[in-house]
Amino acid sequence: MNTMEEDYKLAKWLDGGMTESELKAFQETPEYATYIKIAHYSNHLKTPVFDENLMLQNVVATQKSIPKVIPLYQSKWLRIAAILVVFLGLTYVLKSESTFTEYADNAKKTTFLLPDDSEIVLNSGSEIKYKKWNWNNQRSLELKGEAFFKVAKGKTFDVQTDLGIVTVVGTQFGVKSRENRMEVYCYEGKVRVQNKGQITYLTKGKHVHYENNKQIVTAFSDSIPLWLQNKMTFESEDLAAISAEMERQYGVKISVKNVPLDQQFTGTIPSNDLDVALEIICKTFQLKATKTKAAIILEGK
Amino acid sequence: MENPRTIGICNELIFSTFFKSNVKTLRNYLYFKFGNEEQANDIAQEAFIKLWENCANVPEEKAKSYIYTVANNATLNQIAHQKVVLNYAKSIINSDENNLTPEFLIEEEQFKTKLEKAISNLTEAQRIAFLLNRIEGKKYKEIAALLNISIKAVEKRIHGALVSLRTEIEQIK
Repeated sequence: MNTMEEDYKLAKWLDGGMTESELKAFQETPEYATYIKIAHYSNHLKTPVFDENLMLQNVVATQKSIPKVIPLYQSKWLRIAAILVVFLGLTYVLKSESTFTEYADNAKKTTFLLPDDSEIVLNSGSEIKYKKWNWNNQRSLELKGEAFFKVAKGKTFDVQTDLGIVTVVGTQFGVKSRENRMEVYCYEGKVRVQNKGQITYLTKGKHVHYENNKQIVTAFSDSIPLWLQNKMTFESEDLAAISAEMERQYGVKISVKNVPLDQQFTGTIPSNDLDVALEIICKTFQLKATKTKAAIILEGK
Repeated sequence: MENPRTIGICNELIFSTFFKSNVKTLRNYLYFKFGNEEQANDIAQEAFIKLWENCANVPEEKAKSYIYTVANNATLNQIAHQKVVLNYAKSIINSDENNLTPEFLIEEEQFKTKLEKAISNLTEAQRIAFLLNRIEGKKYKEIAALLNISIKAVEKRIHGALVSLRTEIEQIK
């Protein structure tokens, strides 16, 4: 008569859990002799010995290499401090992971250092984006506009612009990327410039200019960019580009009327004397300048 | 932080006491499982080391289940079990010493050998439960707690072990 629940008789017997009658019945069975022997002799089995004290010593000895942990739940203040530390830590990591942007407004220039102490000066109306995280192993930034670089020695340093990539190892160079024109000046060391598929290497005193799929390499003699000396220099640039740069340098609005915009100019004008600058430009392009509250209007004669 | 608070199982005295009460059973449980003495010793020691290292995170009442959890996890990667070799205690207390005839003694030796062999042929589950009861003297309730099974399950294994042992011993005759 097996019930739903199995009745493990032998287990009960071994444990002394059988009833009197059950026990008596069991003792009558032929198997009982074997079972009693099994129970008896299995009682006397033993396992191999081992040195408990030695094991304990080994265990507590490991404590020395690992600092004891103060349970934080014991102290409310430690708990608060820990949360603060984690928060600050996360903030730091998040900040370093994110992209940093440096920019120079119109009529301003910005100088700043990168994490490897490379120095950058941004010309007016320019912007640089870079990641501080792991900077020394990956020196790469994005430039919009114009900047002068003094790169510390180290792994390769990349300047990405819309129009091309400049790579150096440790040197001084200038990059200008405006509209569809890109220029690179090498003041020291060696610079590798990549524009679309074309790769050009510049040494000190060499300058490359990309525009409209044309590439011109010329020499120059300045030791630092002219724009760091309050001068604007143009090399075969048209009035549109020149007035745009003047807007950036002087922080003014310039409106050009009745002039063919493709005439070109090569020369230098000051970036700290608007009147002189305007005079030169007007003379060159045959213009008349009128100053209003909102803008400077340049009209063709 | 020269003197961090040592409470619970981090307290060396409490830990030692716990160790002494539990190490033999844990280690023998592992031995019953694998039949490899070195393995049993190593895993047992490792379990206690982990407990000591994490003492701050283990409440005293959870320490026992902690070491068994660690031990069981460690054994997952271990080699397959070997034959469990057990020895008889040197002096078996015989209730009836007057009956120690030579024939009796030979028969006794033969039986003991058959029993040892039969035990090594038990299934792992049966063997562990049976030996924890016979050698370690653990009650079914304690075995159930150690192995994380029901008391009924323990009874089933013990029952099965006894049937299996008897069958094999009688066959060897």
